[in-house]
Amino acid sequence: MAEVRTDAPRTTEAATVTRHRVSDFEQWRIATTLQLGHYLRTNRFYGLLGFVTLVSSLTLAFQVAAGIPAIQIEQLYRSSEYLSNNLAYTGLWIILAAAFFGGDALGVDFSTSAGYYMLVLPIRRSVLLAGRYTAATLVTFAIVGVNYALDLAGGVYFFGGSTIPWGLLLESLGIAALFALAALSVAFCVSAFVRSPSAGVLVTVLALYVGFTILQAVLELAGIEPWFSFPYAGTAMASVMDTDFVHQQTIPLGAQQYYTIWVANVSEGIAIMAAYLAVFLPLSIFLYQRQESTG
Amino acid sequence: MASFEVSGLSKSFATGPAVLHDLSFRFDGAGAVGCLGPNGAGKTTLLKLLVGLLHPSQGHAYLNGIDPMADRKRALWDVGALIETPEPYPTMNVHGALDLVGRARGLASDDVDREIDRCHELLDLPPLGHRIGWLSKGQRQRVSLGAALMGDPAVLLLDEPTSGLDPAERVVVRHLLNGLKRDHLVLMSSHQLVEVTEVCDHLIFLHRGKVLLNDRVDRVAGRIRSRQVDVEFTGSVSPEAMAGLRTVATEVVAVSPRRWRISFDGSDEARVQLLRLCQALGPVVQFTSTTLVLEEAYLELIPPAAGDA
Repeated sequence: MAEVRTDAPRTTEAATVTRHRVSDFEQWRIATTLQLGHYLRTNRFYGLLGFVTLVSSLTLAFQVAAGIPAIQIEQLYRSSEYLSNNLAYTGLWIILAAAFFGGDALGVDFSTSAGYYMLVLPIRRSVLLAGRYTAATLVTFAIVGVNYALDLAGGVYFFGGSTIPWGLLLESLGIAALFALAALSVAFCVSAFVRSPSAGVLVTVLALYVGFTILQAVLELAGIEPWFSFPYAGTAMASVMDTDFVHQQTIPLGAQQYYTIWVANVSEGIAIMAAYLAVFLPLSIFLYQRQESTG
Repeated sequence: MASFEVSGLSKSFATGPAVLHDLSFRFDGAGAVGCLGPNGAGKTTLLKLLVGLLHPSQGHAYLNGIDPMADRKRALWDVGALIETPEPYPTMNVHGALDLVGRARGLASDDVDREIDRCHELLDLPPLGHRIGWLSKGQRQRVSLGAALMGDPAVLLLDEPTSGLDPAERVVVRHLLNGLKRDHLVLMSSHQLVEVTEVCDHLIFLHRGKVLLNDRVDRVAGRIRSRQVDVEFTGSVSPEAMAGLRTVATEVVAVSPRRWRISFDGSDEARVQLLRLCQALGPVVQFTSTTLVLEEAYLELIPPAAGDA
């Protein structure tokens, strides 16, 4: 009688599969899609998006409740002024988004076992980083876009569509994009050497916003222009549309006491952002390539 | 030709002693190499160095002749690796996790699906729509093993591939590895000595970062001196008579009234003395050293205190 085996091994042979060389560009696209899909399934994306939408919507709602005459006459007599004023907090949203999406983008490979899955694939780490950076940039733009869209809606409601300074608005968007790229480069750099994901997010916020804001306030008290401050550079997003833009303003505090505040002009803001981008993005690539999976 | 090689490979960390010391070996072609050693011997570190997850302090590692430190993409192109217990993004599903690997390895989309189906069948993977975050450790391990196999890479580097699997799953994986080694080059680390004897053709014993033994599995046991002999007499021998062997033997155990198993220190002198003493008790028809199983060889090679280092 023929022997009947019940534990016969299943075939291990792969069907004829053809593998073609994958370009770095194609792998960048794969990494971007993967990371974007990941972000779009996380609570942090929807949480931040909801928060920005809520705050921007509430701002608009209060302005609508105050009425068109109040907005037009009392403080913001031109649509460009209105838009500029409302965009004052865009820098904060971008820094938060950069921290949320960049602060743990690389550290996750070394603090969790995710790296044992991703880093053994035949993909250069610089390509992986580029894909993640692109995806983080796109979700940051989505959040910034909501902020701009609601701001624009307010501008149209109060002043009419024909008054909107589209060219300046686009310029502001361009500066916001550069600011996001620079903020993400710092966040990725932090992420490349801070292994804990939550610590990476926290350090990015502390460094980019809290630390610089405190330092900036102290320096301004001493009458020093905070030309190196990251949030200071971000003020260019709003100042580009401010028709009454003043770079330096001295406010008297009392007898012979003055407090000087600075707002970055467009070229200065762009230069600062570009400098951050030029330093921190290559540094994050270098650190990521050197990082070891010791866990 | 598929190959992996380490040359003068050492690794030490900023804090703590060196983990690997001057390792050199090369394997090519097809077959399975087992990497054994107690905890802390450096098995996982060796695999991490091979795939470029760690930087060598000295020396080089090569995969298919390419140093992963010099060109990670080319070095890992034809390599499937399972290191520790990988965790793809918990938000991904099983299909997405395998699809990613297939596309990164240059499979056309039709081939990706065929490969996913093959891995799914081979490893009895969980439903493809299940999220990674929902899976048990064993299921994740099987998905990761499937990922290592996607695209049929020529070299497989597997760090304790059956870790976290239940006995039935381990059998499946052993069958799988036995099939794979026919036309792949497999390096696997394991604590499961049975697994290594069943799967591997060649062994590397690591201890405190050094290679204690690098040999074929069937020759390893032969290189270790047996500490036991089986003796068979033509007739029954009483326990009292056998007690006389205690001057040389450390233990004498009756297998049957005619057959006894004698433990001793393994020296040739003691073996000769035991034979003489046995012959004095009656005609001896058989006096043979028992074959060492791998576990005994393992304990023989590694000092007892180091077993849990």
